[in-house]
Amino acid sequence: MNEKNLLKGNIAIAKAALECGCSCYFGYPITPQTDIGEYLSLEMQKRNLAYVCAESEIGAINMALGAASSGEKVMTSSSSCAVALMQETLSYAASDELPIVLVNVMRAGPGQGYIFPSQGDYNQATIGGGNGDYKTIVLSPSSIQECIDLTYKSFHLAQKYKNPTILLVDGLLGQMAEPAIITENPYPEIDNSNWRLDGAKNRTSRKIHSLEPNQNKLNKHILKLYQKYQIIEQNEPDWEEYLCNDAEIILTAFGTMARSVKAVCNFFREKGIKMGVYRPITLYPFPYKRLRELSINAKHIIDIEMNMGQMLRDVRLSVLSNSQISFIGKPVGDWLKKEEIINTINTIIKEQYASI
Amino acid sequence: MIKNFIISGSGGQGILSIGTVLANIFMLGNKYVTYCPCYGAEMRGGAVNCEINMSDEELLTLQNEKADFVIALNQTSFDKFISKVKEGGTIIVNSSMAKIEKTRKDIKYIFAPFTQEAIKLGNIKIANSIALGVLSKILGNLTVENVKKAYEKILKNKKELIQKNLDAYLLGYDYIQEKEYA
Repeated sequence: MNEKNLLKGNIAIAKAALECGCSCYFGYPITPQTDIGEYLSLEMQKRNLAYVCAESEIGAINMALGAASSGEKVMTSSSSCAVALMQETLSYAASDELPIVLVNVMRAGPGQGYIFPSQGDYNQATIGGGNGDYKTIVLSPSSIQECIDLTYKSFHLAQKYKNPTILLVDGLLGQMAEPAIITENPYPEIDNSNWRLDGAKNRTSRKIHSLEPNQNKLNKHILKLYQKYQIIEQNEPDWEEYLCNDAEIILTAFGTMARSVKAVCNFFREKGIKMGVYRPITLYPFPYKRLRELSINAKHIIDIEMNMGQMLRDVRLSVLSNSQISFIGKPVGDWLKKEEIINTINTIIKEQYASI
Repeated sequence: MIKNFIISGSGGQGILSIGTVLANIFMLGNKYVTYCPCYGAEMRGGAVNCEINMSDEELLTLQNEKADFVIALNQTSFDKFISKVKEGGTIIVNSSMAKIEKTRKDIKYIFAPFTQEAIKLGNIKIANSIALGVLSKILGNLTVENVKKAYEKILKNKKELIQKNLDAYLLGYDYIQEKEYA
């Protein structure tokens, strides 16, 4: 404990899950996240915890739904095209108000794509592919240390709000290693004894299901969910600001992309250009408010992603209607290089502000 | 100051192991470090490489176009990564498995028969550690204590291999003293 170790992102997530009391893991192997299940298959057995290598991703997420109903701290992990298979159950879990932690280590899509890293699941995670009015909390780490910290936070928020929570990890981060410390889980335990299904001996029976044939009751249920989402949107937006206070140009990026973008920002700062970086850590709830405040003084917002502009929509919704917005992106594969981003920004600056 | 490294060869040559050792050595020296393996449908005999970045400050760029130092343990990786060496950078080549050939004037070449030297030491698999020793010599500022600790971390389940690898490392370290690195 508290010793610095060279950890792979996937292993860091698995270790952190155990550290904060994950008692059940269900999963099916898929690159680039298979290390999570591989590591847990050994470690959970040692600790006498539940580990099932499911027959499919659909099996895995539905096992997670069942275990969460009984009050277990449950996690499943997968990647892009297989997370697509899990969407139906995420909608069920949101309606059932079940705390499931789902780790998506993203690979390239659409369809089966390939194992190249990508950030193409922003929409899948934040908007969701399940039916009905529901939301999932989404957290996005940019370093291995954050993989650990945000795994703790994912479990905490899932339990606190009784809502499925997605840890959205770039494929690059899952496979990469960096020195990191398995810190202590900073969050308190949350009592679930008032809702979990653990046998109705000496109490009235409970049920958890999303079927509701009475339309008044269903409306009431959804309105209650939306009150919860409002509280989440009020209390939980999290972000990192880098040199934003006096910034005239703000670069927005999430996950590991934000790191190269910081290097780009440093390059332009050295040239005297007032640039800053805004990195949302919670993708849902998206930290709209602060970006809107910053956009009052910023001449230009440049969104940079390893996809074709998915977070761009949330950036547009954040900023003032007259803000200038540009996008730099690449769909899949090797991360956009610092030099490539600098060149593109130079072109944008030249076109827009001949004077700079 | 940031330094980038690429270690490359074929599956089974211990490319990723030696990359992890190097990354651990940097970590133990309190540097910022990232280690990215090239992953994919690799198998024994297939191409393998990993990228290591080291810095005194927080590492922001994770994947780089070029590297200051490249280790190539076979012909395929020598051919593939020669163009990835930065101007003024160094490539360390296993001359047991690659032809001695200097096509670039703007970089430094070190050729050494790592595989043959490893066979002399009694274990063909420790050629990677000899190469790491050569790289360490050029870098100059790695302490033997941290190198030992790094091997102990990586080989904690194969303790009998620690000393063999350290011997190989030290052989590599002293190798270019004789051959003069210019």
